[in-house]
Amino acid sequence: MKRRNFIKASTIASTSVMVPQFLKGVNSENIARSRQGKNLVVIQFSGGNDGLNTIIPYQNDRYYKNRPTLGIKANEVLKVSDNLGFNPAMASLRSLYDEGLMSIINSVGYPNPDRSHFRSMDIWHTASDSNEYLSTGWLGRYLDSNCSGCQSPHHALEVDDTLSLSLKGVEKNGFAMSNPNQLKRISDNKFLKSIVHHHEHEHEENVEYLYKTLADTHASANYLYQKSKVHKTEVKYPKGAFANDLKQIAELMTADADIKIYYANLGGFDTHVGQKNKQARLLKTYSDAMSAFVKDLKNNGLLDDTLIMTFSEFGRRVQQNASGGTDHGTANNVFLIGGNLKRKGFYNSAPDLKKLDKGDLIYQVDFRKIYATILDDWLDASPTQILGKQFEKIII
Amino acid sequence: MNTPQRLQHLYWRAGFGMSPKEWSSKKKRSTQKVIDELFKNAHQASQRKVVKNGNGIESSEMAMASKKEKRKENKIRIGSHNTDWVLRMGNPDESALLEKMTLFWHGHFACRTKVPGWARNQLNTIRKHALGNFRELVLAIARDGSMIRYLNNQQNKKRKPNENFARELMELFTIGRGNYTEKDVKEAARAFTGWSSNLKGDFVFRKRQHDFGQKIFFGKKGKWDGDEIIDMILEKRETSEFIARKAYRFFVNDKIDERNVEYLARVFYDSNYDIEKLMRAIFESKWFFDEENVGVKIKSPIELLAGMIRTFEVEFRNPAALIFIEKALGQVLFDPPNVAGWAGGKSWIDNSTLMLRLNMANVLFQNSELNLKIKEDFKAQKRNKRKRKVQASVNFKPFYNLFKRENEKLLLKKMGGFILQTKGQLNESTFENFIIKNNKEDLVKTLCLRIMSLPEYQLM
Repeated sequence: MKRRNFIKASTIASTSVMVPQFLKGVNSENIARSRQGKNLVVIQFSGGNDGLNTIIPYQNDRYYKNRPTLGIKANEVLKVSDNLGFNPAMASLRSLYDEGLMSIINSVGYPNPDRSHFRSMDIWHTASDSNEYLSTGWLGRYLDSNCSGCQSPHHALEVDDTLSLSLKGVEKNGFAMSNPNQLKRISDNKFLKSIVHHHEHEHEENVEYLYKTLADTHASANYLYQKSKVHKTEVKYPKGAFANDLKQIAELMTADADIKIYYANLGGFDTHVGQKNKQARLLKTYSDAMSAFVKDLKNNGLLDDTLIMTFSEFGRRVQQNASGGTDHGTANNVFLIGGNLKRKGFYNSAPDLKKLDKGDLIYQVDFRKIYATILDDWLDASPTQILGKQFEKIII
Repeated sequence: MNTPQRLQHLYWRAGFGMSPKEWSSKKKRSTQKVIDELFKNAHQASQRKVVKNGNGIESSEMAMASKKEKRKENKIRIGSHNTDWVLRMGNPDESALLEKMTLFWHGHFACRTKVPGWARNQLNTIRKHALGNFRELVLAIARDGSMIRYLNNQQNKKRKPNENFARELMELFTIGRGNYTEKDVKEAARAFTGWSSNLKGDFVFRKRQHDFGQKIFFGKKGKWDGDEIIDMILEKRETSEFIARKAYRFFVNDKIDERNVEYLARVFYDSNYDIEKLMRAIFESKWFFDEENVGVKIKSPIELLAGMIRTFEVEFRNPAALIFIEKALGQVLFDPPNVAGWAGGKSWIDNSTLMLRLNMANVLFQNSELNLKIKEDFKAQKRNKRKRKVQASVNFKPFYNLFKRENEKLLLKKMGGFILQTKGQLNESTFENFIIKNNKEDLVKTLCLRIMSLPEYQLM
């Protein structure tokens, strides 16, 4: 057989053939169910966002001395307190701040900080110490622990094509989906459906694990596809992939999808060169999308039950480098957004630019305190069990 | 188990599965004879260095290129070390055992490196010792430029010791947690002060940074240097247990049988850490072929890809596509997640990786487009989906020749037996509507694609 014929022959029964089983087997009762419970949305800034040019200590001479050209001039800063203000690109986020929907925690980090993107992201994902290596993520371990409703993998949904370590547990994983239509198309592979259907129980653990993951994927793909058709938002989101990710999350939340945790990513923060414009663009993308998202949640009465946490693997060095950028640093700010925050505005004082560790900020709040609080207060789980040790809670 | 099944198992665990040619030529030989051949070929191959893609230009000579260009160039060259290696694993003319051993140690001495020449040197070091003596291997890794940089030993100086290398040496490379104290880490770090590398990545002993003073390690007083520390670690039986356990997980089963590990540790220790002895003890053991150890390990992404390449002589028009697949599946060579290496086992699998794995045969056989975006760049802000066309060609003939004379009634069973390592029976009805029966060749091809799309194909 010629190659062309072979390709033709093999595609006949292959992935490209699909018959969407639209709405077949929808549990309408489920869709109508009045929503309950709280949601967590995690936003990851990849690359190490420069926190000092995000929340700017515009009264601090050391800031301007360290950043002669990169420092944002005091008259451009969107001031919200007598010494701190937002990057000028973040006007829409500042409005959320003004409405009391935001809490900013300064100087978040961990002991013995690692300046490698990969390793530091690992530490944030796994909630490990900096000299400890874990292969599961904090939210994955939450899924492993006895949380109600954790049976389906889409209980924790990452809006992306691949799944972050954060969402990987020992027994259970979160679910990765960048687009419900695409996921449905992939999982509507008739052959794969047929083999799940034909599969008889074997006892070998890994065979069973793979079949179960496949069956779950089919079920979740259908579920998410249906849920994604229930509600179309009326809020206008900005253009772009990140805003679109948030829009999808809002639509699923409004449809009361059985999802507790959402996870989304915004990358490109590694600004060693020519930082000013690059970072401004990213912060604007984030702020404008977040503003639309919050409005959407508010319109649908979801904001009080939602907590949005935004983090990055590290901040940047206090001093700018010679290329109009900044190099890898340590402690950074974390944003919490929601309609039900106990401590609005700044959680703690501005970073100390006087007392540095070799030119880097010294962390004041261990990020795992934030995790512990979220697990305990927001997800009703046992933080000590999931984080492996006890962390003092903070006020969220 | 009959002999061909034993050989299949051996070839998956000691290598990357059997090519149709290997199957035809070896299926009648005794297992012991095939094991001996594997070791013989591996020893011959270990004498050869990987030189391709070095072009003699090291990054330090590229001063005229801008930093950005240099970084880009380095990325491409590391990428070709990566893809060259995967293709070597998939090449039936190369020593499967040597490549597999190298992959094992590459994951054990996990190290991220950005300089292509250094990466190649480390790979050559591991290949050289992969079946040699573990002590020599540890000593060589302790002097490896990439590892020294990765674990900050160039910052380990008498006045200001950096413990990173000393800690990981014990925790992850040799004896394992619980067998040393924090004090031991500090003292070992002192013994490795001044172990550094130059700009070419060659080992340099910086005498003035070395702490020649007295140290107390494992309760023994002496002016220990790094080599002596390694010797003292290897003197402890716990080290042989730690390595035997890791090898058992990698080559035999994620589930540990303590008796078997004890046996392997004893062989390893008594042979003075001879890696060949350890590996022979695995492959020549009766329990290695026990049903509970066959077809139960989830293939790593590299094992999956190399296995497909080996069986079907897959050639890539643009091998860089392989790196994209590695990323999507979660295992990029020279780029482990951290110094603990790839966790393996079930951690390879989530909804996204499983769907891609099950579609991998389709992707390779049909030049499919991979519609995926990968989390990778901290710098680039390309949020648009990257479509990657995987242009590959497959030589199906050798495989077809194995089955062209097979009775149609037995075809599924026979092909399943060749492609899969799992023991479950395949059911005709599963495939009924998904094969093309026009002629024998179409039938064999479509059936082959289907079998490779089964979850069972993910196991070895």
